[in-house]
Amino acid sequence: MSEASTTKAPNPLLRFVSSPAGRAFLALLLVGLVGTIFNADGAFFKIGTHRDALRQASVYGILACGCTLVIITAGIDLAVGSVLALVAVCCSKMAIHWGWSGWLVVPACLLVGCATGGLAGVVTARLRVQPFIATLALMVLARGAAKYASGGMKVSTAVKNASGGYDYVDVPTLFRLVDTRILGGHLSVVTVIFLVCLGLAWLALARHSWGRHLYAIGGNEEAARLSGVSVVWAKILAYVASGLLAAVAGICQAAQEQQGDPEAGVGYELIAIAMVVIGGTSLMGGRGGMGLTLLGVLTIGYLDKILSINAVPEAGRLMLTGIIIVTAVLTQQRKRT
Amino acid sequence: MKSNTNCVLTLLGLGLIATLWSGCSDSTKTTGNAAKSDSAARTYTIGMSQCNLGEPWRVQMNEDIRNAAAKHANLKVVFKDAQNDTLKQRAHVEEFVSSKVDLLIISPKEAQPLTEPVARAMAAGIPVIVLDRRLLGDQYTCFIGADNKKIGKAAGEWIVKTLGGQGNVVELMGLQTSTPGQDRHSGFMEGIAGSNLKIIFSADMKWLEPDARKEMESALSRFDKIDLVYAHNDPGAHGAYLAAQAAGRTGIKFVGIDALPQEGVAYVSQGILNATFQYPTGGAEAIDTALKILHGETVPKEIVLGTRLFDKANVAQGGQELN
Amino acid sequence: MTAAPPVSTERVPLVRLTGITKRFGPVTVLHEVQLEVAAGEVHVLAGENGAGKSTLMKILAGIHTDFEGRIEYAGREARPRSPLEASALGVAVIHQELSLIGAMSVADNIFLGRMPTRNGFVCDARQHEEARHWVRQLGLELDVRRPVEQFPIAVQQLIEIAKALSQNARVLVMDEPTSALNAPEVETLFGLIRSLKERGCGIVYITHKMEEIERIADRITVLRDGEWIGTAPAQELPTAKFMQWMVGRDLGEQFPRRAPQPGAERLRLERFSVFPDGFAVRPMAKNISLEVRAGEILGIGGLQGSGASQLLLGLFGAYGNRARGRVWLDGKETHFTLPRTAINAGLVLLTNDRKATGLVLPLSIIANATLAGLRALTRAGWRNPTAERAAAERTTGRVKLRAASLELEVGALSGGNQQKVAIAKWLQTQPGVLLLDEPTRGIDVGAKREIYQLMDEWTAQGMAIILITSEMSELITLSDRIVVLHRGELTASFTRAQATPEAILAAAMGHATPSTPSQLS
Repeated sequence: MSEASTTKAPNPLLRFVSSPAGRAFLALLLVGLVGTIFNADGAFFKIGTHRDALRQASVYGILACGCTLVIITAGIDLAVGSVLALVAVCCSKMAIHWGWSGWLVVPACLLVGCATGGLAGVVTARLRVQPFIATLALMVLARGAAKYASGGMKVSTAVKNASGGYDYVDVPTLFRLVDTRILGGHLSVVTVIFLVCLGLAWLALARHSWGRHLYAIGGNEEAARLSGVSVVWAKILAYVASGLLAAVAGICQAAQEQQGDPEAGVGYELIAIAMVVIGGTSLMGGRGGMGLTLLGVLTIGYLDKILSINAVPEAGRLMLTGIIIVTAVLTQQRKRT
Repeated sequence: MKSNTNCVLTLLGLGLIATLWSGCSDSTKTTGNAAKSDSAARTYTIGMSQCNLGEPWRVQMNEDIRNAAAKHANLKVVFKDAQNDTLKQRAHVEEFVSSKVDLLIISPKEAQPLTEPVARAMAAGIPVIVLDRRLLGDQYTCFIGADNKKIGKAAGEWIVKTLGGQGNVVELMGLQTSTPGQDRHSGFMEGIAGSNLKIIFSADMKWLEPDARKEMESALSRFDKIDLVYAHNDPGAHGAYLAAQAAGRTGIKFVGIDALPQEGVAYVSQGILNATFQYPTGGAEAIDTALKILHGETVPKEIVLGTRLFDKANVAQGGQELN
Repeated sequence: MTAAPPVSTERVPLVRLTGITKRFGPVTVLHEVQLEVAAGEVHVLAGENGAGKSTLMKILAGIHTDFEGRIEYAGREARPRSPLEASALGVAVIHQELSLIGAMSVADNIFLGRMPTRNGFVCDARQHEEARHWVRQLGLELDVRRPVEQFPIAVQQLIEIAKALSQNARVLVMDEPTSALNAPEVETLFGLIRSLKERGCGIVYITHKMEEIERIADRITVLRDGEWIGTAPAQELPTAKFMQWMVGRDLGEQFPRRAPQPGAERLRLERFSVFPDGFAVRPMAKNISLEVRAGEILGIGGLQGSGASQLLLGLFGAYGNRARGRVWLDGKETHFTLPRTAINAGLVLLTNDRKATGLVLPLSIIANATLAGLRALTRAGWRNPTAERAAAERTTGRVKLRAASLELEVGALSGGNQQKVAIAKWLQTQPGVLLLDEPTRGIDVGAKREIYQLMDEWTAQGMAIILITSEMSELITLSDRIVVLHRGELTASFTRAQATPEAILAAAMGHATPSTPSQLS
């Protein structure tokens, strides 16, 4: 290392701005600024708007947490959207049609998520199929399973009875509990769930040896293996965690829709991956973090909200979102010094 | 009818590959019914080519056809699902022709690419009933479909009447690049013309419930006084209802379209929606017409289906016919 | 041909760089550096890792474009803004990491980006013919349609030179070209360099190997910490002065001598074989038997393809159950099919390619230094950053790592410091047996010396070391005993007193020498 003793200490602000976190933060700030300017007659300044923005971003955010874990290992999980639908259907079936208690429904749903994630993990890590292909297959498989389990129809509170008519069931307590607000109506429970998931994922990634192993695998799998890291297990666990979080998201989705829609979550995996990448986590693996993902989630979540309250037409929304993603990723790609 | 197009961030172009993948299974379902009695009558095989079973409305259409056919012991219906793939549907039509079905019912995905295969089926002597979406030209036996514009207009008129000619309305539109979405909007505008209704917020929710909820939340945070939400489908109205409920806003009326038994009608029965307008599948009518054709009767070239209104008062009686 | 023209100052040099200053953010990596290359000379560019050699060459090659200073190509000032422009100006760089595309054919690689076309279609026949022409120029006869990855590294390097020649390069920059070559291949390369000189090419030759400098240098320029220290004709620069230029301090003797005190046997192999895959008949290492004692360094000599690296990898468990044979560690019979179990048993392997298999480059020094021994620093799997930092400080301190901060990404360090981090990682696991595969590859003299000293310390503490090195002097000076492998088989074994470079080389090339006392089968 050549140490330049003559140069002055770099400005801390400048250093922050040139770090991945700083750049992701700048993108968020920019979106916030856009919101302040195009505030839709002051709607942007209402607490409710922010609560809703956070609520809407929460399901994507939960998926993004799982995707972060997988992407850090230089993998990818395309199945999260379909797993979300499968779990939403299973959850509704159990909670609405079979009337199971939440204490039974939630663990059962999480188990479904873990199982699908485990399948993806075994196929990629043990059988060495490329993650893109393996999770693409699982994406199709889980979507099919969701359609099969639901019989192609939404699983709602209208339950078909023997005579061909419909009986109407109450919305289960579990759904009501998840889709409610706390702190005087200023915070949605799904947002709390998202933050808890984010916190746990952060703990695992930043404070557990497993998290360190994920980074090592993403940075250099062979070096990690030769350093005694159980590469296969660590990777399988990453996909299991992603499946588990997709299951949590599926429960939230079902609760918010009050039904299990087998078509739910189409394309969510791409939004989740975009959130992760905008935060600054590298698709090449080995670099990134949960804090960055939070910034990415907020950026896309707020962008979406601002476009919505301004009633921007669909065509404009898609183009603007695309431009923002490319810009954000471009700033992230600027060479590190 | 409704193409459940997923307008997502087409990042990485993954979506394309994904759709390709999700469309590579071919499911052919057969519903036979035991025609043990009535052996004197000839047994007819009807081929039903459905463009996509991803939407509950189309599942219902198949269900209606199946139920109607079950009442006639000499009818056997073979169902094929093209999974939103035009070329696959074209192949299905050709398969039906080569297996020499007695009659073909098709609910086409697109007009242009399917017109010619259907014309060839006609040339092969197979009568064709076109359901819901139209084909180009006149090479088919009978078209059965509903009129979205009329339904939108009926909804508009009902809303004017219900609100007493004035109020703030939020319109949650179906995919605006689809004809049903456009027709349900323009029909609605026609229906409310001349009244003092104000459309204060309109957004494209792409037929999706989560999107409808999202847009409704934005409308709620912008406007303190909303009298009524007109959504282009029932899930959209339901999503808007959930948003209003979560925001603790009362006094808003919700109107949807489609009136599927397990969706819109159920919502009306539960008091979630104030009204829904049926978009008939035409399944039952298709079987009736098919029987007529098979028995050699002449049928009109075009049958436009009416709509039914379901509201609190009449939902128990099965709705009210509108014309 | 005539002899190489004398280096003359009145002739216009092929390339002259003056006053080159380059900064990366706040760090100045080059300060007022100069270099000139005349036609027909080999100009050795020397300096420790991190001295700025690579940066200077990247400026010359048009990779770094924002710098201060002046570059003249044949007397005309120009600033290449891209590698393409630099190659148009006649500069070609053969990088340490070869830039060939493995799956593409030799011809495609040579003409990459400028293949001969007709109406937009590649003329394969013409391309092959021209590629053959250039390859023949180097005295090479090979099928230019075969993918590059099927050839050994040495041949790939020649292909890269052919590519440079085909671009009409006048100035060739060779960045440690012999680091992956064995002795005969080095000879071929040197022969080639001589003929390039005769053609009037100027060669910038970057190396760490003293013997190479002595053999081929016409002029030498030394950089240190981004500064130009001096340029002198090779004959006028005695080794001692050169060393002083390099490190800025008197190095004294090159290698510390050690007095071995072998203790109890730590590791014994009997008829140990390593197979490339489950189906192969020919093992990469076949029926090897050897033992190493506490406090002893066992050197393994051999040319490329000797199977020595594979032997150590197999022993370490990296080949799973494709390594067969009997192994005793500290008197207990054992067999490793996972690196993890080997590490836990106190047997560790420093691989020969730190970037590909040794380090996780995007991670920090701390993360790398604690990667193998992380378990000891955690409680129920939960990490303790303070303990990790302390452990990393301890181990990197023992290897005398010089880094501004332990939070730095390892990828940003110089080669020598990277190697020290890789070593620190293994110290953290407190091994009893250390397998070192080319521990000094691609690192500077100062760092080499430090690593030799460390090996000395470790053996004094009772560690057993197996050392693979391609540098003959290193093998002979460091090893207490030497075994030689040839095509996967053990062909000779020597004590320190018996070992001579000639005998080792003969055994490595498969010749049985009568002086070899203990022939093993």
